[in-house]
Order: sequence, then C-alpha cells, then structure tokens
Amino acid sequence: MALWFFRGLGRQVVTTRYPSVLDPWTAALPTPPSFVPSRLTTELVHRLVESCPSGALRQEDRELVLDVGACTACGTCQRIAPDAITASGVFELAATSCAHLVKRVPIRGGDK
Amino acid sequence: MTVPGHEEDRLAARLAGDIHGLFGRSLHIRTIDTGSCAVCESEIRLLLAPHYDLHRLGLFFTPAPRHADLLMVTGPVVRVMELPLAKTYAAMPEPKLVVAVGACPLGGVFDEDEIVRGRLDQVLPVDVFIPGCPPSPLALLQGLLVAVGRLAEKVGALSFVAGEETSK
Repeated sequence: MALWFFRGLGRQVVTTRYPSVLDPWTAALPTPPSFVPSRLTTELVHRLVESCPSGALRQEDRELVLDVGACTACGTCQRIAPDAITASGVFELAATSCAHLVKRVPIRGGDK
Repeated sequence: MTVPGHEEDRLAARLAGDIHGLFGRSLHIRTIDTGSCAVCESEIRLLLAPHYDLHRLGLFFTPAPRHADLLMVTGPVVRVMELPLAKTYAAMPEPKLVVAVGACPLGGVFDEDEIVRGRLDQVLPVDVFIPGCPPSPLALLQGLLVAVGRLAEKVGALSFVAGEETSK
C-alpha cells in the first residue's frame, strides 16, 4: 500500500476525491424512472399507481407524484409502459431534505 | 438556533461550523441496522474494498458510537430497535450527523404499523437521505460526501421528466 502511495505522489495523482469520471459499468445500475408527460394518460397513471410495489407513485389531480426516496428502481412501471417510462440513469440520489426527493410530473396525454 | 447578542451561542455555533468543516477530511462512521435485509450492509461493506477505498477520503468505520461523528441507519426502524437507536444517537458526541440509507428508512418498503416505525425522520433528525434498494457503493460515497459538504446535492434539481418536454 505504501508503494501505491509513493507512486501516486510521484505521478501527482490525487486520489482523495470523488471520481470525476464515472466507470462505464455504472450505466447498468438500476435507477428510478423518468416519465414522458405527453404519453401519460390518467388511465395509465392509475395502472402505474396500482402496480408500484413500494408505493412510490401517486396521482394528484393532473400530476403524477414520484417519491424517489421510496422508489426501489424495480422497473415494474417501465415494463408496463416502455414507451412512456425509461430509466432516468441517475443513481447519485443523496438529498439533504425529504422534500427534494418528491417529484411532480404533469399528465399531458390523451383522455380529457 | 442562535440568538443575536448572545456571545456564547454565537461562539458555539461557529465552533460547530468549524468542526463540521473538519469532518470533510476526517470522519468516523457508525452503522446501525434497524431491521434491514442486510443488502444495504453488504453495499456499505464494499466501501472498504480497494475499488472505492473509503480511507483515502479520510472516512473510517468505528465500532463505538462514542467515537462516531456520523450514524448510518439502514432498515425500516423496527420498533424493538428504537431504544438501541436512541442510545446510540445519545452516545455520539456533538456535533453529529445522521444518514438514512436505502428505501426502507425513507418509508419506501414498509408502512408504519405495530412492528415498524417506517420512516427514520420521525425518530431522529436526518441530515442526508440516500435512496436506492440498495444504494450502490458509489451512491453511498456521494451521500457521505454530501453529508460532510464536499459534494453538492444533485437530485434536488432533477425533474425525472424525459423526452421532448425536458425543458418545461
């Protein structure tokens, strides 16, 4: 370990930081969903809310509310509507407040 | 928290701020499992592996809450663990930080009932929430660095809206 320390010191490589470039395998990590508002209908949202196993989704008027904190990134909603819902690709989700984790997505699709 | 004109309070607040700044380079972490399935523990343990190497950042795990600056809580806060959790928190010296790890202490997996409390923020003041089931070691690392103020929080600015309407 000491050898690595001196090697780093000699090459002036700083290793006491968060990685500036993320490893390519991080793209395969499960991540919470992101939604396409124009493809969300109230009927679909109702189905999504019913099927979410961790209760992270709920509907409020014409908005779909996603609690990122409660989401387990299981992918159930993505399998139900793959054209409207994709993986967000964000896994660095640390938040200093619970309120920062509650996301509101407008429902703009189809039926009125 | 501070009352203007009270010199002691101002000094105490400044001292707490200074110590919080020092946490960024030297922090001792105590983990406590309040009924988790142990996958979060598995990910936390991976932080010590050479790939992530927590020690290079000046962060260390400690078995004693009296030596700890930061408490990592996993699991849905089972009611039988409330007393050990309170004792652990009380034993930690001030100033102290609490990090909720995984979807369980954020209320994602279990609702409140006679067995679990469901949410950690009902029991302790939580400084940083790390979602994920489980959060990957890199996500944990980011959360710890957010807790000590070395990284900025990212998720607050995200909308989780995809496609053509991202700008709206």
